Amino acid sequence: MLVGIEAMNVYGGTAFLDVMMLAKHRGLDTARFENLMMKQKAVALPFEDPVTFGVNAAKPIVDALTPEEKDRIELLVACTESGIDFGKSISTYMHHYLGLNRNCRLFEIKQACYSGIAGLQTAISFVLSQASPGAKALVVATDISRFMTVEAGEELTADWSFAEPSAGAGAVAALVSARPHVFQIDVGASGYYGYEVMDSCRPVPDSEAGDADLSLMSYLDCCEQTFREYKKRVPEADYKETFQYLAFHTPFGGMVKGAHRSMMRKLAKAKPPEIETDFEQRVLPGMIYCQRVGNIMGATALLSLASTLDNGRFDTPQRIGCFSYGSGCCSEFFSGVAASNGQQLQRGFMIGRQLDERYALSIDEYESLFDHSLALRFGTRNKKIDPGVLPGAYESCRGKQRLILNEIREYHREYRWSS
Amino acid sequence: MNKEDIFALVARHVCEVIPELEGYAFKPSERLADLGANSVDRAEIVALTMEALSLQVPRVELFGAKNIGELVDVLYEKLRSA
Repeated sequence: MLVGIEAMNVYGGTAFLDVMMLAKHRGLDTARFENLMMKQKAVALPFEDPVTFGVNAAKPIVDALTPEEKDRIELLVACTESGIDFGKSISTYMHHYLGLNRNCRLFEIKQACYSGIAGLQTAISFVLSQASPGAKALVVATDISRFMTVEAGEELTADWSFAEPSAGAGAVAALVSARPHVFQIDVGASGYYGYEVMDSCRPVPDSEAGDADLSLMSYLDCCEQTFREYKKRVPEADYKETFQYLAFHTPFGGMVKGAHRSMMRKLAKAKPPEIETDFEQRVLPGMIYCQRVGNIMGATALLSLASTLDNGRFDTPQRIGCFSYGSGCCSEFFSGVAASNGQQLQRGFMIGRQLDERYALSIDEYESLFDHSLALRFGTRNKKIDPGVLPGAYESCRGKQRLILNEIREYHREYRWSS
Repeated sequence: MNKEDIFALVARHVCEVIPELEGYAFKPSERLADLGANSVDRAEIVALTMEALSLQVPRVELFGAKNIGELVDVLYEKLRSA
């Protein structure tokens, strides 16, 4: 049977920051900053949290369904490392504000940046199981990075300061069903690979720690090992010829470029000029949105897939190879096929335009948000959110039916729609 | 291959990744980061050196070197036990 993504949408925030401006302001060594290939990052405002990002990504998909189709969403998986409660999953809030059928499984999963693909594969297995024929699953990967990183210590390299320009905020929602209009999964064509490593993590609420070198090396190891496992299952697969596009988990562009270069050298014995051309043709289309939103952790691999679908050429059906890596770690290489009619449907969500319409933050505005963020720490019991902190940014939500956080009352989060 | 050879190999790949360092006299006590290599550059230098040595070990096993000399040491040990 067919299975895959029926529709997918991205929410890349209300506001963004130019990260070259940030790098200069922080006094980072910008001489070789260009090869990190970072451009912009979405920044979570005080009235945005993982729930609002997730709902704002999923709502256009759900709104496009008939009431009968909407009622067949029987699984809602929230994928995140930015949870707001140890017990209650954020999928419960999403379920409420999306107005889904109560006969629906709701839960949240975590495995760093791998969570979105863990959710996607869970949804695919649910549809393939045919335990409830015709049922659909909604996967919502959502992550934000609101706070500064843990201070560098003995095992934490100073290079981790580059985490700030790369850390974004955003969500991707994917509707999974037996009608894969947008991305048809190659069933069983998956290489997964995981082992215990302490490369990057969120050991305390609202902050991150890690080692950039170890994380990068583990990413590169997994990139190779997942493809080798994929090839065991799909013996005819060829890294250079089988996939017309490659959608990578993109912490920042330079890391993906390095991984692609390493894979092409090793598996295709390619030389630098050929690698560069191949990168521009097969990988760059998937990086366009990632460079505008920043690393959105669990949602990034799906963001790269959405970017490929919007920015690739699909005159004939094309196979896309996808790689996801989540620190800690677990990783997967899998594939699927997309065609022009799917691209037409996908472009209807106008993701690029939504990114264009975001509010551009100045450095002062960006830094003014830190105090507000502190007031929204994990475990906040009561807090009324002032939407007027950055009036211009709030204004840009007007008339767009966006979910915004209104208040936290006795730990319960209360949201409303922007009018 | 002795440590001096591996050191020369690392130095060659540093220059390949950061051409501005061509002709520079590298010292074992120097850190790649101090020479202007960011995390992507460092991973590339390690990858090129591993490939030149035909060393097939997980990259994470090379983690922990604090400077060029220590990187050479760990590459040398891995090569010996390979």
